[in-house]
Amino acid sequence: MMRLILFLLLIAVPILGCWTFVRAEELGAWFPGNFSTYGPDIDALFSLIMWPIAITFVGTEVVLAWFCLRYSAKRTDKSVYTHGNHKLEMIWTAVPALVLLGIAFSQMETFGKIKFQKNFPKGEYSIEKPIAEVWASQFDWRMRYPGKDGTLGNVDDLENSFEFAVPADTDVVFLLRSRDVIHSFFVPEFRLKQDALPGHTIPVWFNAKLRPEDEQRGESTFDLVCAELCGWGHYKMAGRVRVMRKDKYQAWLSDLEKDWFTNGKESAQ
Amino acid sequence: MPSDNRRRRALLAQRARTAFFPVAIASLCLTQPACQLEPQTPEVHYSLSADTTAVDPQTKEPLVPRAVQDQILGSLEMLFGTPAYPSFLRTQAWIDDGYDPNYPQYPVEDPGGSGEISDALMEEIQADNAQRFRTQLAHVEAGRYEAVELPSTMPDLIREWSSMLQETPVEKRTGEFQAGARELLSNWYPSLRDSSELYRQQCLHCHGTNGGGDGPTSRFLNPLPRDYRKGVFKFTALKDKARPRRQDLFRILDEGVTGTAMPSFRRFSKAELHGLTDYVRLLGIRGMVESDLVVTYQNESAISVDYVTEAYERTWKRWKDQDDKLIALEEAVPAPTPELIARGRELFLDAKTGNCASCHGEQGLGNGPSAFTLDPDTGEKVSAYKDDWGHPIVPRNLTYGLFRGGRRPVDIYRRIHAGINGTPMPALGGVLPAKDIWAIVHYVGTLSENAHPTAQAAVSHAPSKSDSEPKAH
Repeated sequence: MMRLILFLLLIAVPILGCWTFVRAEELGAWFPGNFSTYGPDIDALFSLIMWPIAITFVGTEVVLAWFCLRYSAKRTDKSVYTHGNHKLEMIWTAVPALVLLGIAFSQMETFGKIKFQKNFPKGEYSIEKPIAEVWASQFDWRMRYPGKDGTLGNVDDLENSFEFAVPADTDVVFLLRSRDVIHSFFVPEFRLKQDALPGHTIPVWFNAKLRPEDEQRGESTFDLVCAELCGWGHYKMAGRVRVMRKDKYQAWLSDLEKDWFTNGKESAQ
Repeated sequence: MPSDNRRRRALLAQRARTAFFPVAIASLCLTQPACQLEPQTPEVHYSLSADTTAVDPQTKEPLVPRAVQDQILGSLEMLFGTPAYPSFLRTQAWIDDGYDPNYPQYPVEDPGGSGEISDALMEEIQADNAQRFRTQLAHVEAGRYEAVELPSTMPDLIREWSSMLQETPVEKRTGEFQAGARELLSNWYPSLRDSSELYRQQCLHCHGTNGGGDGPTSRFLNPLPRDYRKGVFKFTALKDKARPRRQDLFRILDEGVTGTAMPSFRRFSKAELHGLTDYVRLLGIRGMVESDLVVTYQNESAISVDYVTEAYERTWKRWKDQDDKLIALEEAVPAPTPELIARGRELFLDAKTGNCASCHGEQGLGNGPSAFTLDPDTGEKVSAYKDDWGHPIVPRNLTYGLFRGGRRPVDIYRRIHAGINGTPMPALGGVLPAKDIWAIVHYVGTLSENAHPTAQAAVSHAPSKSDSEPKAH
């Protein structure tokens, strides 16, 4: 009786596990939409890792449950001692090692494309001429855009807090920096996550699309969150990425510049 | 063998019986704290400030007698309500004029509002509401009224919405009802009660129930959160130490304060942020009336009811209509020419005119001689000044490029023109002509010119192969 209960409990784990995965999309617990050019590549890597893990997980759980049923010792049985099986151990070491190596090699292309600086876009925006600097600090995001002279780090730089505005369908390169502790720039819809380290300037790029329903409006907003526990106010580090059609972006930028060099919006009566 | 089996079963049953009570008690103990983890809304109350309840160190008697303290607390509750139901008391004069500060979104008329939200601003708020309530409005358009869910920070809106649903049975929900629902959501402007709820969730943990800057998380912060109760706000666009306008408070909520723990709250809607400025103002006025009443008691050893309304109206006047105090710029920011910057440097260093260097240091490092003094006991270098809240204050290091009130030229202009409220930073607006202030603004800008290395110099840890030229570090 006890054996059966244990068996059922153990077999329930893989069954419930698989069920949540199958139902996830219906339950709204699967990935959010994918709105960057390299998003599908990242999702492909996710599947690449998920399938071997799923098979291993289900296999080991089923074996565990079955062993409970089949080999549970009777109280009167004597213990059996064994020195194991060399061949079997060789197999279960070598096979996962090969799988891991396979995963390591197959992700290189995607990783190289997204993270290697020599593969960064060299169009309108590049590492040398980034669209902006994104500063993370406890507990805020601040975007610094180059001013008229097109270079960062001087007095004519423009600043915008909380909102990172970028043009749509453009390779956007920005520099990620932190003022205090480690933060992480995470936009789930872009499949983009990059830590910001104090003292480092980390170039990051993405190419974002508008949501289909926003084509008319010409602007989509996405959540920008901090994905590295950075202190008591970590939850407050929620920003926004505004992806705009190019003409809208230019208009937004000149509005920002106008506000910057005149009396400011708050002067309005 | 059967007897063996039976014995084993009996043994198991006995074990199960003995295990029952410890297991039951343990699970009871575990569920108890788990139930208490459910979100609860603690009741919060306004209280008096530490200055009002201070006791004489010698006699241990309160400086303001208990009875008078109770009278002050009661008067304040009459004027401003409670955290659960905050509202401004309308004086007879206001009722006659149709003026009601509880409804800034309506024009001054009978029954009226305060007319502070201009039509243009209200249009912006409505456009923002359409975005804020897009899910709810989609339900309304589809006629799924029961599916509309509203955030807990809008108790008054929730009440209004549910009474709308109750009054109109399902079969009578026609186009007119739909239009009403649409209007309710897109014209929404938070009541003080709604804003108090949002304040409780987002602001209270730093700024405290009374806006005293003494919430639970304030202990971890430097600089400390603002204490509204003095009505002194550092970063406004106004001169003459005026109380902040709605726009000044809104800008702080919208932009945050760089280099401090005050983040940008732009993720909330415009309506919500304007509501918060209303509530911050209520707390500020409440604090000022409180200290006014304490001073009255000290001077006249009694507080009459007339005096309470008088103090209330006097304080209100100081918060209202500050628009003429705005430091407005007639023309665009002058270009930072080398001559202007050189003039700025001259003024920055000159002890007779700008005299910035005496506190901010010759290189703007915030280490000028006047700002520090030697502690007579320890001989250590300590701050020479205290701010209005009694905390030691040091001058800003201008080479960091971090300007709390904003880094825009106009922000720095206003800091120099009007000084910084509550701090030793003086106002130079009456002393220097505008052109000279601009000269200092541009010179200060150049001090932080290299605060952030340029992009090429900074990205050095993984140089790409295509770069053959050596990089500057």
